[in-house]
Amino acid sequence: MAAEKAEMDALKKECDGLRAQIEAARKAVNDTTMTAAANGVAPLGRVQLKLRKSLKGHLAKIYAMHWSEDSRQMVSASQDGKLLVWDTFTGNKLVAVPLKSAWVMSVAFSPSANLVASGGLDNICTVYNIKAASPKTLRELDAHTGYLSCCRFLSDSEILTASGDTTCVLWDLETGKQKMVYTNHIGDCMSLALSSDMNMFISGACDSLAKLWDLREGTCKQTFSGHTSDINAISFFPSGNAIITGSDDCSCKMYDLRSDQEVTDYTDATLNAGVTSLALSNSGRLIFAGYDDFNCHIWDSLKGEKVGVLSGHDNRVSCTGVPADGMGVCTGSWDSFLKLWN
Amino acid sequence: MLRLSFPVLHYRMSSKAQSSNNLNQARQTVQQLRLEARNERIKVSKASADLMNYCIECARTDPLLMGIPASENPFKEKKPCTIL
Repeated sequence: MAAEKAEMDALKKECDGLRAQIEAARKAVNDTTMTAAANGVAPLGRVQLKLRKSLKGHLAKIYAMHWSEDSRQMVSASQDGKLLVWDTFTGNKLVAVPLKSAWVMSVAFSPSANLVASGGLDNICTVYNIKAASPKTLRELDAHTGYLSCCRFLSDSEILTASGDTTCVLWDLETGKQKMVYTNHIGDCMSLALSSDMNMFISGACDSLAKLWDLREGTCKQTFSGHTSDINAISFFPSGNAIITGSDDCSCKMYDLRSDQEVTDYTDATLNAGVTSLALSNSGRLIFAGYDDFNCHIWDSLKGEKVGVLSGHDNRVSCTGVPADGMGVCTGSWDSFLKLWN
Repeated sequence: MLRLSFPVLHYRMSSKAQSSNNLNQARQTVQQLRLEARNERIKVSKASADLMNYCIECARTDPLLMGIPASENPFKEKKPCTIL
Protein backbone atom coordinates (compact mmCIF):
# COMPACT_ATOMS: atom_id res chain seq x y z
CA MET A 1 0.00 0.00 0.00
CA ALA A 2 2.87 2.38 0.90
CA ALA A 3 4.64 1.54 -2.37
CA GLU A 4 1.43 2.24 -4.25
CA LYS A 5 0.99 5.58 -2.54
CA ALA A 6 4.63 6.52 -3.26
CA GLU A 7 4.19 5.68 -6.93
CA MET A 8 0.90 7.57 -7.05
CA ASP A 9 2.57 10.67 -5.55
CA ALA A 10 5.47 10.46 -8.01
CA LEU A 11 3.09 10.05 -10.94
CA LYS A 12 1.00 13.00 -9.80
CA LYS A 13 4.10 15.16 -9.52
CA GLU A 14 5.28 14.19 -13.02
CA CYS A 15 1.75 14.73 -14.35
CA ASP A 16 1.59 18.27 -12.95
CA GLY A 17 5.04 19.02 -14.35
CA LEU A 18 4.15 17.78 -17.83
CA ARG A 19 0.85 19.72 -17.86
CA ALA A 20 2.74 22.90 -16.93
CA GLN A 21 5.29 22.17 -19.66
CA ILE A 22 2.57 21.75 -22.29
CA GLU A 23 0.77 24.92 -21.17
CA ALA A 24 4.01 26.88 -21.37
CA ALA A 25 4.74 25.53 -24.86
CA ARG A 26 1.22 26.53 -25.99
CA LYS A 27 1.58 29.97 -24.46
CA ALA A 28 4.92 30.48 -26.18
CA VAL A 29 3.27 30.29 -29.62
CA ASN A 30 0.11 32.13 -28.61
CA ASP A 31 1.01 35.39 -30.35
CA THR A 32 -2.56 36.26 -31.44
CA THR A 33 -6.14 34.95 -31.67
CA MET A 34 -7.94 33.89 -34.85
CA THR A 35 -10.47 36.72 -34.40
CA ALA A 36 -7.73 39.34 -34.12
CA ALA A 37 -5.90 37.89 -37.11
CA ALA A 38 -9.14 37.98 -39.13
CA ASN A 39 -9.70 41.67 -38.46
CA GLY A 40 -8.89 42.56 -42.04
CA VAL A 41 -11.19 39.93 -43.54
CA ALA A 42 -14.38 41.38 -45.04
CA PRO A 43 -17.44 40.58 -42.88
CA LEU A 44 -20.07 38.29 -44.35
CA GLY A 45 -23.15 40.35 -43.54
CA ARG A 46 -26.32 38.46 -42.74
CA VAL A 47 -26.37 34.90 -44.13
CA GLN A 48 -29.97 34.12 -45.04
CA LEU A 49 -30.71 30.61 -46.16
CA LYS A 50 -34.18 29.52 -47.20
CA LEU A 51 -36.05 26.44 -46.15
CA ARG A 52 -36.32 24.37 -49.35
CA LYS A 53 -37.89 21.14 -48.10
CA SER A 54 -39.37 19.66 -44.95
CA LEU A 55 -39.01 15.88 -45.01
CA LYS A 56 -41.88 14.24 -43.22
CA GLY A 57 -41.92 10.53 -42.48
CA HIS A 58 -40.53 9.72 -39.08
CA LEU A 59 -43.05 9.26 -36.27
CA ALA A 60 -40.80 10.20 -33.36
CA LYS A 61 -37.65 12.14 -32.43
CA ILE A 62 -34.86 12.14 -34.99
CA TYR A 63 -31.50 11.48 -33.38
CA ALA A 64 -29.07 11.34 -36.30
CA MET A 65 -28.60 11.86 -40.02
CA HIS A 66 -25.77 11.34 -42.51
CA TRP A 67 -25.33 12.35 -46.15
CA SER A 68 -24.27 9.88 -48.81
CA GLU A 69 -21.16 10.89 -50.76
CA ASP A 70 -23.35 11.42 -53.83
CA SER A 71 -24.77 14.52 -52.06
CA ARG A 72 -28.26 13.38 -53.00
CA GLN A 73 -29.19 10.48 -50.74
CA MET A 74 -29.34 10.92 -47.00
CA VAL A 75 -30.12 8.52 -44.16
CA SER A 76 -31.89 9.48 -40.93
CA ALA A 77 -32.49 7.59 -37.68
CA SER A 78 -35.42 8.01 -35.34
CA GLN A 79 -36.66 6.75 -32.00
CA ASP A 80 -39.62 5.38 -34.00
CA GLY A 81 -37.28 2.45 -34.64
CA LYS A 82 -36.57 3.14 -38.30
CA LEU A 83 -33.79 4.30 -40.55
CA LEU A 84 -35.06 6.14 -43.62
CA VAL A 85 -33.01 6.65 -46.77
CA TRP A 86 -34.18 9.76 -48.62
CA ASP A 87 -33.75 11.13 -52.13
CA THR A 88 -33.34 14.76 -51.09
CA PHE A 89 -33.90 16.07 -54.65
CA THR A 90 -37.45 14.71 -54.79
CA GLY A 91 -38.18 14.29 -51.07
CA ASN A 92 -39.02 10.61 -51.69
CA LYS A 93 -38.22 7.84 -49.23
CA LEU A 94 -36.12 5.19 -50.97
CA VAL A 95 -35.57 2.61 -48.24
CA ALA A 96 -36.95 1.97 -44.76
CA VAL A 97 -34.84 -0.15 -42.42
CA PRO A 98 -36.67 -1.49 -39.35
CA LEU A 99 -34.40 -1.59 -36.29
CA LYS A 100 -34.23 -4.31 -33.63
CA SER A 101 -33.73 -1.59 -31.03
CA ALA A 102 -35.61 1.70 -31.31
CA TRP A 103 -33.09 3.50 -29.07
CA VAL A 104 -30.88 4.61 -31.92
CA MET A 105 -28.34 7.41 -31.49
CA SER A 106 -26.22 7.31 -34.61
CA VAL A 107 -26.43 6.49 -38.30
CA ALA A 108 -23.91 6.42 -41.14
CA PHE A 109 -23.73 5.87 -44.89
CA SER A 110 -20.76 3.99 -46.33
CA PRO A 111 -18.82 5.88 -49.05
CA SER A 112 -20.10 3.36 -51.64
CA ALA A 113 -23.70 3.90 -50.43
CA ASN A 114 -24.15 0.10 -50.39
CA LEU A 115 -24.23 -0.01 -46.59
CA VAL A 116 -25.70 1.92 -43.70
CA ALA A 117 -24.90 1.46 -40.01
CA SER A 118 -26.70 2.44 -36.85
CA GLY A 119 -26.54 1.89 -33.12
CA GLY A 120 -27.54 3.31 -29.78
CA LEU A 121 -28.53 2.09 -26.34
CA ASP A 122 -28.26 -1.54 -27.48
CA ASN A 123 -24.43 -0.97 -27.42
CA ILE A 124 -24.30 -2.61 -30.86
CA CYS A 125 -23.36 -1.17 -34.25
CA THR A 126 -25.52 -2.94 -36.84
CA VAL A 127 -24.51 -2.77 -40.49
CA TYR A 128 -27.16 -3.20 -43.18
CA ASN A 129 -26.88 -3.88 -46.89
CA ILE A 130 -29.47 -1.55 -48.43
CA LYS A 131 -28.78 -2.55 -52.02
CA ALA A 132 -30.35 -5.97 -51.46
CA ALA A 133 -34.03 -6.45 -52.47
CA SER A 134 -34.96 -5.68 -48.88
CA PRO A 135 -32.51 -4.35 -46.26
CA LYS A 136 -30.39 -7.20 -44.93
CA THR A 137 -28.37 -7.20 -41.69
CA LEU A 138 -24.74 -7.74 -42.69
CA ARG A 139 -23.06 -7.58 -39.28
CA GLU A 140 -23.83 -6.93 -35.64
CA LEU A 141 -20.72 -5.41 -34.06
CA ASP A 142 -21.15 -6.27 -30.40
CA ALA A 143 -18.30 -5.53 -28.00
CA HIS A 144 -18.88 -2.06 -26.60
CA THR A 145 -19.96 -2.01 -22.96
CA GLY A 146 -21.73 1.31 -23.35
CA TYR A 147 -24.11 2.98 -25.78
CA LEU A 148 -23.08 3.64 -29.37
CA SER A 149 -22.98 7.42 -29.84
CA CYS A 150 -21.40 7.70 -33.29
CA CYS A 151 -20.27 5.56 -36.21
CA ARG A 152 -18.46 6.34 -39.48
CA PHE A 153 -17.46 4.02 -42.35
CA LEU A 154 -13.96 4.15 -43.81
CA SER A 155 -15.05 1.80 -46.59
CA ASP A 156 -17.37 -1.19 -47.04
CA SER A 157 -14.90 -3.21 -44.96
CA GLU A 158 -14.04 -0.93 -42.03
CA ILE A 159 -16.08 1.16 -39.61
CA LEU A 160 -15.16 3.36 -36.64
CA THR A 161 -17.44 3.65 -33.61
CA ALA A 162 -17.56 5.90 -30.53
CA SER A 163 -19.18 4.71 -27.32
CA GLY A 164 -20.47 5.67 -23.90
CA ASP A 165 -17.95 3.10 -22.57
CA THR A 166 -15.31 5.87 -23.24
CA THR A 167 -13.62 4.03 -26.11
CA CYS A 168 -13.62 4.27 -29.89
CA VAL A 169 -13.20 1.09 -31.93
CA LEU A 170 -12.12 0.28 -35.49
CA TRP A 171 -13.94 -2.81 -36.78
CA ASP A 172 -13.21 -5.21 -39.61
CA LEU A 173 -16.54 -5.79 -41.35
CA GLU A 174 -15.40 -8.99 -43.01
CA THR A 175 -14.72 -10.72 -39.68
CA GLY A 176 -16.92 -8.62 -37.42
CA LYS A 177 -13.98 -8.25 -35.04
CA GLN A 178 -12.32 -5.24 -33.38
CA LYS A 179 -9.12 -4.22 -35.21
CA MET A 180 -8.14 -1.47 -32.80
CA VAL A 181 -9.45 -0.05 -29.55
CA TYR A 182 -8.73 3.61 -28.80
CA THR A 183 -8.62 4.24 -25.07
CA ASN A 184 -7.75 7.53 -23.42
CA HIS A 185 -10.99 9.44 -22.77
CA ILE A 186 -12.29 9.35 -19.20
CA GLY A 187 -15.85 10.19 -20.13
CA ASP A 188 -18.46 8.90 -22.58
CA CYS A 189 -17.36 9.43 -26.19
CA MET A 190 -20.11 11.37 -27.91
CA SER A 191 -18.86 12.10 -31.40
CA LEU A 192 -16.14 11.34 -33.92
CA ALA A 193 -14.96 12.57 -37.33
CA LEU A 194 -12.54 11.08 -39.86
CA SER A 195 -9.78 13.06 -41.57
CA SER A 196 -10.15 13.15 -45.35
CA ASP A 197 -7.11 10.89 -45.85
CA MET A 198 -8.49 8.53 -43.16
CA ASN A 199 -5.16 8.33 -41.35
CA MET A 200 -6.49 10.26 -38.36
CA PHE A 201 -9.73 10.84 -36.54
CA ILE A 202 -10.98 13.14 -33.80
CA SER A 203 -13.28 12.38 -30.89
CA GLY A 204 -15.23 14.52 -28.44
CA ALA A 205 -16.31 13.24 -25.04
CA CYS A 206 -18.11 13.95 -21.77
CA ASP A 207 -14.72 14.56 -20.14
CA SER A 208 -14.91 17.91 -22.04
CA LEU A 209 -11.84 16.96 -24.11
CA ALA A 210 -11.32 16.56 -27.83
CA LYS A 211 -8.63 14.12 -28.97
CA LEU A 212 -6.76 13.53 -32.21
CA TRP A 213 -5.89 9.88 -32.91
CA ASP A 214 -3.56 8.08 -35.29
CA LEU A 215 -6.03 5.59 -36.75
CA ARG A 216 -3.50 2.88 -37.70
CA GLU A 217 -1.17 3.19 -34.68
CA GLY A 218 -4.07 3.43 -32.22
CA THR A 219 -2.47 6.24 -30.27
CA CYS A 220 -3.83 9.57 -29.07
CA LYS A 221 -1.63 12.28 -30.60
CA GLN A 222 -3.11 15.44 -29.14
CA THR A 223 -5.62 16.47 -26.49
CA PHE A 224 -7.58 19.73 -26.56
CA SER A 225 -9.14 21.21 -23.46
CA GLY A 226 -11.11 24.40 -22.80
CA HIS A 227 -14.72 23.29 -22.82
CA THR A 228 -16.36 23.20 -19.41
CA SER A 229 -18.87 20.50 -20.22
CA ASP A 230 -19.55 17.52 -22.52
CA ILE A 231 -18.48 17.83 -26.13
CA ASN A 232 -21.40 16.56 -28.23
CA ALA A 233 -20.21 17.37 -31.73
CA ILE A 234 -16.90 17.48 -33.56
CA SER A 235 -15.73 18.13 -37.12
CA PHE A 236 -12.55 18.75 -39.12
CA PHE A 237 -12.06 22.12 -40.77
CA PRO A 238 -11.84 21.30 -44.52
CA SER A 239 -8.11 22.05 -44.78
CA GLY A 240 -7.53 19.37 -42.16
CA ASN A 241 -5.46 21.70 -39.96
CA ALA A 242 -8.14 22.60 -37.44
CA ILE A 243 -11.08 21.05 -35.64
CA ILE A 244 -14.39 22.51 -34.46
CA THR A 245 -16.24 21.27 -31.37
CA GLY A 246 -19.73 21.92 -29.96
CA SER A 247 -20.52 21.49 -26.28
CA ASP A 248 -23.14 21.44 -23.53
CA ASP A 249 -21.36 24.55 -22.20
CA CYS A 250 -23.26 26.39 -25.01
CA SER A 251 -20.13 27.21 -27.00
CA CYS A 252 -18.33 25.96 -30.07
CA LYS A 253 -14.56 26.17 -30.29
CA MET A 254 -11.96 25.97 -33.02
CA TYR A 255 -8.66 24.29 -32.14
CA ASP A 256 -5.72 24.46 -34.52
CA LEU A 257 -3.85 21.14 -34.76
CA ARG A 258 -0.44 22.62 -35.52
CA SER A 259 -0.58 25.25 -32.73
CA ASP A 260 -2.08 22.61 -30.48
CA GLN A 261 -4.58 25.03 -28.90
CA GLU A 262 -7.90 26.82 -29.00
CA VAL A 263 -7.84 29.68 -31.52
CA THR A 264 -11.49 30.79 -31.50
CA ASP A 265 -14.43 30.56 -29.16
CA TYR A 266 -17.96 30.89 -30.56
CA THR A 267 -20.14 32.15 -27.74
CA ASP A 268 -23.01 34.56 -27.49
CA ALA A 269 -24.45 35.92 -24.24
CA THR A 270 -27.98 35.35 -25.54
CA LEU A 271 -27.30 31.71 -26.41
CA ASN A 272 -27.90 29.61 -23.31
CA ALA A 273 -28.54 26.27 -24.95
CA GLY A 274 -26.21 23.33 -25.43
CA VAL A 275 -24.76 22.55 -28.86
CA THR A 276 -25.93 19.17 -30.12
CA SER A 277 -24.44 18.98 -33.61
CA LEU A 278 -22.39 20.90 -36.15
CA ALA A 279 -21.34 20.97 -39.81
CA LEU A 280 -19.16 23.27 -41.92
CA SER A 281 -19.71 24.77 -45.35
CA ASN A 282 -17.19 23.67 -48.00
CA SER A 283 -14.78 26.58 -47.56
CA GLY A 284 -14.95 26.23 -43.78
CA ARG A 285 -16.13 29.82 -43.46
CA LEU A 286 -19.59 28.93 -42.14
CA ILE A 287 -20.30 26.77 -39.09
CA PHE A 288 -23.83 25.43 -38.79
CA ALA A 289 -24.43 24.52 -35.15
CA GLY A 290 -27.60 22.85 -33.90
CA TYR A 291 -28.70 23.85 -30.41
CA ASP A 292 -31.15 22.75 -27.73
CA ASP A 293 -33.02 26.07 -28.34
CA PHE A 294 -34.66 24.54 -31.47
CA ASN A 295 -32.44 26.54 -33.83
CA CYS A 296 -29.38 26.00 -35.97
CA HIS A 297 -27.19 29.07 -35.58
CA ILE A 298 -24.69 30.07 -38.27
CA TRP A 299 -21.23 31.31 -37.26
CA ASP A 300 -18.49 33.06 -39.25
CA SER A 301 -15.63 30.68 -38.40
CA LEU A 302 -12.93 33.34 -38.96
CA LYS A 303 -14.46 36.35 -37.22
CA GLY A 304 -16.22 34.40 -34.47
CA GLU A 305 -19.53 36.19 -35.06
CA LYS A 306 -23.04 34.86 -35.35
CA VAL A 307 -24.18 35.61 -38.92
CA GLY A 308 -27.49 33.85 -39.27
CA VAL A 309 -30.01 31.34 -37.99
CA LEU A 310 -32.05 28.48 -39.41
CA SER A 311 -35.37 28.67 -37.58
CA GLY A 312 -38.31 26.41 -38.10
CA HIS A 313 -38.03 23.34 -35.92
CA ASP A 314 -40.45 22.88 -33.03
CA ASN A 315 -38.00 21.01 -30.84
CA ARG A 316 -34.24 20.69 -30.33
CA VAL A 317 -32.06 20.31 -33.42
CA SER A 318 -30.32 16.98 -32.84
CA CYS A 319 -28.30 16.61 -36.03
CA THR A 320 -26.83 18.76 -38.79
CA GLY A 321 -25.04 17.86 -42.00
CA VAL A 322 -23.64 19.46 -45.14
CA PRO A 323 -23.27 17.19 -48.22
CA ALA A 324 -19.92 16.72 -49.97
CA ASP A 325 -20.84 19.14 -52.80
CA GLY A 326 -21.69 21.82 -50.21
CA MET A 327 -25.03 22.61 -51.85
CA GLY A 328 -27.08 22.88 -48.67
CA VAL A 329 -27.54 22.07 -45.00
CA CYS A 330 -29.78 19.41 -43.53
CA THR A 331 -31.10 19.76 -39.97
CA GLY A 332 -32.88 16.97 -38.09
CA SER A 333 -34.92 17.49 -34.97
CA TRP A 334 -36.79 15.94 -32.08
CA ASP A 335 -39.88 17.39 -33.83
CA SER A 336 -39.51 14.39 -36.23
CA PHE A 337 -38.73 16.50 -39.30
CA LEU A 338 -35.64 16.92 -41.43
CA LYS A 339 -35.25 20.26 -43.15
CA LEU A 340 -33.10 21.19 -46.15
CA TRP A 341 -31.80 24.74 -46.44
CA ASN A 342 -29.71 26.71 -48.90
CA MET B 1 -24.83 14.82 -22.39
CA LEU B 2 -26.80 11.74 -23.32
CA ARG B 3 -30.19 13.14 -24.28
CA LEU B 4 -32.93 10.62 -23.60
CA SER B 5 -36.55 10.74 -22.65
CA PHE B 6 -36.31 7.98 -20.04
CA PRO B 7 -33.99 7.24 -17.05
CA VAL B 8 -30.84 5.09 -17.37
CA LEU B 9 -29.13 3.19 -14.51
CA HIS B 10 -25.49 3.85 -13.59
CA TYR B 11 -23.27 1.37 -11.75
CA ARG B 12 -20.56 2.04 -9.11
CA MET B 13 -17.27 0.11 -8.76
CA SER B 14 -15.94 -1.39 -5.45
CA SER B 15 -13.38 0.84 -3.69
CA LYS B 16 -10.58 -1.76 -4.05
CA ALA B 17 -11.10 -1.95 -7.79
CA GLN B 18 -11.25 1.84 -7.78
CA SER B 19 -7.78 2.35 -6.18
CA SER B 20 -6.07 -0.17 -8.48
CA ASN B 21 -7.85 1.50 -11.34
CA ASN B 22 -6.64 4.91 -10.16
CA LEU B 23 -2.98 3.79 -10.26
CA ASN B 24 -3.34 2.34 -13.76
CA GLN B 25 -5.11 5.45 -14.90
CA ALA B 26 -2.36 7.66 -13.43
CA ARG B 27 0.32 5.62 -15.25
CA GLN B 28 -1.57 5.95 -18.52
CA THR B 29 -2.09 9.67 -17.99
CA VAL B 30 1.63 10.28 -17.46
CA GLN B 31 2.54 8.16 -20.50
CA GLN B 32 0.11 10.15 -22.63
CA LEU B 33 1.33 13.52 -21.34
CA ARG B 34 4.95 12.56 -22.07
CA LEU B 35 3.93 11.85 -25.67
CA GLU B 36 1.96 15.09 -26.04
CA ALA B 37 4.67 17.23 -24.45
CA ARG B 38 6.98 16.26 -27.36
CA ASN B 39 4.68 17.76 -30.03
CA GLU B 40 5.97 20.65 -32.17
CA ARG B 41 3.79 23.76 -32.11
CA ILE B 42 3.58 26.54 -34.70
CA LYS B 43 2.66 30.14 -33.97
CA VAL B 44 -1.07 30.92 -33.81
CA SER B 45 -0.49 33.85 -36.20
CA LYS B 46 0.80 31.43 -38.86
CA ALA B 47 -1.96 28.88 -38.16
CA SER B 48 -4.63 31.61 -38.37
CA ALA B 49 -3.19 33.02 -41.60
CA ASP B 50 -3.31 29.56 -43.19
CA LEU B 51 -6.92 29.00 -42.11
CA MET B 52 -7.93 32.45 -43.41
CA ASN B 53 -6.20 31.89 -46.74
CA TYR B 54 -7.96 28.55 -47.13
CA CYS B 55 -11.39 30.11 -46.52
CA ILE B 56 -10.72 32.99 -48.90
CA GLU B 57 -9.35 30.77 -51.68
CA CYS B 58 -12.27 28.35 -51.40
CA ALA B 59 -14.98 31.01 -51.00
CA ARG B 60 -15.69 31.15 -54.72
CA THR B 61 -16.53 27.43 -54.81
CA ASP B 62 -18.62 27.43 -51.63
CA PRO B 63 -22.28 27.37 -52.78
CA LEU B 64 -23.58 28.43 -49.37
CA LEU B 65 -21.46 31.61 -49.52
CA MET B 66 -21.90 32.41 -53.21
CA GLY B 67 -25.58 31.57 -53.49
CA ILE B 68 -27.14 29.06 -55.88
CA PRO B 69 -29.05 30.10 -59.01
CA ALA B 70 -32.65 28.80 -58.88
CA SER B 71 -32.15 26.73 -62.05
CA GLU B 72 -29.24 24.85 -60.45
CA ASN B 73 -30.71 24.40 -56.99
CA PRO B 74 -31.24 20.66 -56.41
CA PHE B 75 -33.40 21.16 -53.29
CA LYS B 76 -35.67 23.88 -54.59
CA GLU B 77 -39.29 22.74 -54.98
CA LYS B 78 -40.05 22.52 -58.67
CA LYS B 79 -43.41 24.12 -59.30
CA PRO B 80 -45.30 23.10 -62.44
CA CYS B 81 -45.55 25.81 -65.11
CA THR B 82 -48.76 26.74 -66.82
CA ILE B 83 -48.77 28.20 -70.27
CA LEU B 84 -51.26 31.05 -70.41
